[in-house]
Amino acid sequence: MSQFFEYKDTIKEGDLVLAWLSRDNLKPITVKAGEVFNTRYGAFSHSDMIGKPFGSQIAIRTKGSNRFGFIHVLQPTPELWSISLPHRTQIVYTPDSSYIMQRMECNPRSRVIEAGTGSGSFSHAFARSAGHLFSYEFHEVRYEQAKQEFKEHGLLEAGNTTITHRDVCKDGFEIKNGDTTSHEFRGPEETKVELNADCIFLDLPAPWDAIPNLTSVISKEKKVNLCCFSPCIEQVDKTLEALEEEGWQDVQTVEIQGRQYEARRQMVRRLDDAIERLRDVKRRKHEGVEKRQKNVEQTSNNGSSVEATESDKDLKHTEKTHFNPFGKGSRVKEGDSNFEWTQVSKVELEIKSHTSFLTFASKIIDRTRDEEQTKAYLATFKDEGSKLSKREQRRLKAQANKDIQKE
Amino acid sequence: MTKHSGIDPLTQISPNQHVLIRLPSDNLKIVELKANAIVSLGKFGAFRVNEIIGYRFGTTFDIVYDGVEEEFVKGTQTMIGKISVLENRLKASSPALENSSENNRGLINLGSVVQEMSMAEIEAMKREAASGDAIISKMIESHKSFHQKTVHSQEKYLKRKKQKFAKFFTVEYLDSSGLLHYLIEKGDVLRVMDISQESLGMALNLANINSNGQYLCIDETGGLIVYAMLERMFAGDSNSKANGKIVVVHENEHPNLDLLKFSSYSDNFIQRHVKTISVLDFFEPAKEADIKSLFKPLSAEEINDLKSNKKSAYFRRLKWYHNQLSNIEVAASSFDGLLVASTLYLPTLIPRLGEKIHGSRPIVCYSQYKEPLLELSHSLYENLNYLAPSLLETRCRPYQTVRGKLHPLMTMKGGGGYLMWCHRVLPAAEPKLHQETLEKSEIKNSDEEGDEDAHKLDQEKQVIKRRKPNEDNEKL
Repeated sequence: MSQFFEYKDTIKEGDLVLAWLSRDNLKPITVKAGEVFNTRYGAFSHSDMIGKPFGSQIAIRTKGSNRFGFIHVLQPTPELWSISLPHRTQIVYTPDSSYIMQRMECNPRSRVIEAGTGSGSFSHAFARSAGHLFSYEFHEVRYEQAKQEFKEHGLLEAGNTTITHRDVCKDGFEIKNGDTTSHEFRGPEETKVELNADCIFLDLPAPWDAIPNLTSVISKEKKVNLCCFSPCIEQVDKTLEALEEEGWQDVQTVEIQGRQYEARRQMVRRLDDAIERLRDVKRRKHEGVEKRQKNVEQTSNNGSSVEATESDKDLKHTEKTHFNPFGKGSRVKEGDSNFEWTQVSKVELEIKSHTSFLTFASKIIDRTRDEEQTKAYLATFKDEGSKLSKREQRRLKAQANKDIQKE
Repeated sequence: MTKHSGIDPLTQISPNQHVLIRLPSDNLKIVELKANAIVSLGKFGAFRVNEIIGYRFGTTFDIVYDGVEEEFVKGTQTMIGKISVLENRLKASSPALENSSENNRGLINLGSVVQEMSMAEIEAMKREAASGDAIISKMIESHKSFHQKTVHSQEKYLKRKKQKFAKFFTVEYLDSSGLLHYLIEKGDVLRVMDISQESLGMALNLANINSNGQYLCIDETGGLIVYAMLERMFAGDSNSKANGKIVVVHENEHPNLDLLKFSSYSDNFIQRHVKTISVLDFFEPAKEADIKSLFKPLSAEEINDLKSNKKSAYFRRLKWYHNQLSNIEVAASSFDGLLVASTLYLPTLIPRLGEKIHGSRPIVCYSQYKEPLLELSHSLYENLNYLAPSLLETRCRPYQTVRGKLHPLMTMKGGGGYLMWCHRVLPAAEPKLHQETLEKSEIKNSDEEGDEDAHKLDQEKQVIKRRKPNEDNEKL
């Protein structure tokens, strides 16, 4: 049972859960009774999670400090996984991966090629949406790690993911019996895997070396979409050359910029209040001067200064506010309900200003049709009128009327 | 649509489907293909549908008139041509470029004087239905300073002329991105709430849409969101065995999923996988007993005994009865995701819908503007049922994709909207002091990897929230 793609209700022993500590700190845990998950917020017993619905908050109070801590336990999704995963390589983030999938029409009928696997972040998103994913990794250790991970996550078990150890630039994409791959051949009679791919994603340092190798594995039955993911403009240039040579069409390079904002508040501080405050400062200053002069006069007049200070107390007029938003004072927590706030959005401290250039292209191998088959097929429609559709007729009529009016 | 005698309507051009036609001007057009019919592309010519049936989607065709009997589309001047398959859009109607200049030093702007062909001559050629190639070649021949142009500017010139005189077109499968591009180009951006392709794609990914989920949705884009969801779930295939379902909640008496008319699913399929329900029926469902007291289904024999006029009335009532019962069921179910594109006031809408979402499932809300989502984020931040609302933006920047002349385009479409993403969670009761079970477990602080302020902030805020939940609720 896939840990990712089947919606689960309650947490069971052996389930993979993502423990949410904060926005950028999610930890994958495999739930096992008796084990403890240690964090800076306290120690969480796995047994407390078992039987709870996914999405539950687990709260504890730590003995000793008596501090209160909690985590949320979530079922993994490809998008959450891309935040939490152990980085083996630079990963493809959701703004890029989601755009690539949308643009390449990735759907349950798609047969996807992904090279290389890398940290496997995008693989999870592809595996969720595609009919079949063929992932390639040329680094042996990373291949083993990714294969193990796919197995644990139920991607291989679900039957729609194949991972192969391969340098696709040198040795192409074909998967033959005897290759190092997760595909289980039925026996010696099954010599190779029919890829028939129609969605190609190349995240390689030199995609131009891999592009010529695609010819034998891409679908002949439908339009094939391709995306090359390269950080440097020089790579894009060489990719464009290779795409042109190999007859790829509709070539376009784009860049995706994702931004995340934080919802914050800014205190409303008005001009009139500022004027009022300065007026107050001025008045106090003035009073201070007067008081000092009076004191000086009194002491020189040999009078008792005690009396004077007492009469001063009666003069106390300004009520002290407990916080002065214009001057120094105790810090106010953002959103304190004693003050007025406006809602503002704040962009992240550091933004991903450039991930990679995405170069898209498409190709149709077979530009013919089966004339016999089409003829037979069309014969079944022979009774349908040879006129324009009603909608079309209306449109043309409207157009003609417009033309007449113009004249 | 079923697979018919080897022609697959999802990969091959076939009758009774809507397709996207890309014209030489790169303008888009949606056409419903009918067998034996004629499609007119206006000044770009006209062709017979049967001639393109069976070819793969993405194929480019040229309309040619050589040796064609003169025949016009009824009531117009558009001549019907024959189809020939082209290898490539780029190569279409492109005479070979030769004799170009290193730079544009010798090029002097003399306006239309450099073109020796007169408007009347060009019009005459067009009337004679000469091919795009022929007209463009003739124009280059008669262009006095064409050779003073650089290769790049010659190419630009050609592209412009091609957009005007060429007669080729590409037939594409109508996917959600294509539909969106068509609407944007038509100037219908407001209808689809200014959503961009990248925002649409990201919403689908963040909502974790897959074939077997039960999703709750509000779609004020006229069905674009639902169209895209169906594509991710079933790939346009009415024979899909997946059992996913979308419940679309609408604020008017009737739903508006107009754009689904372009999809290729059978009515039966749509009925099985898309359920529409008004906000009233969803939030205030009728009682089952009331419905059952108003109507009783009859046995097969009893139905047979009914007179034909009574029979149709009975079946209308039966449909109503089943619909009412399914409304009650839907209102009581729990969903695997919430995807909202609505202009209703979000801080009150989302928590009401969110109650119906299962724990750990994503909630994604699209808005044309950032501010409604900002307000929503603030209100969800105060609500313990929602985890970490994030405000997201994604923008695609297209490049001029020409070797040696790569640069971002000078202008691009503004807008594209924003997304709010969070997860539905189930808050725990505040634990008592001194929990015995934890006495033995040692706190190792294994996660002390650097001091991330964000952690603290999130946790602190949640603690504050916990301490005075009532106060916070009052504030809202």
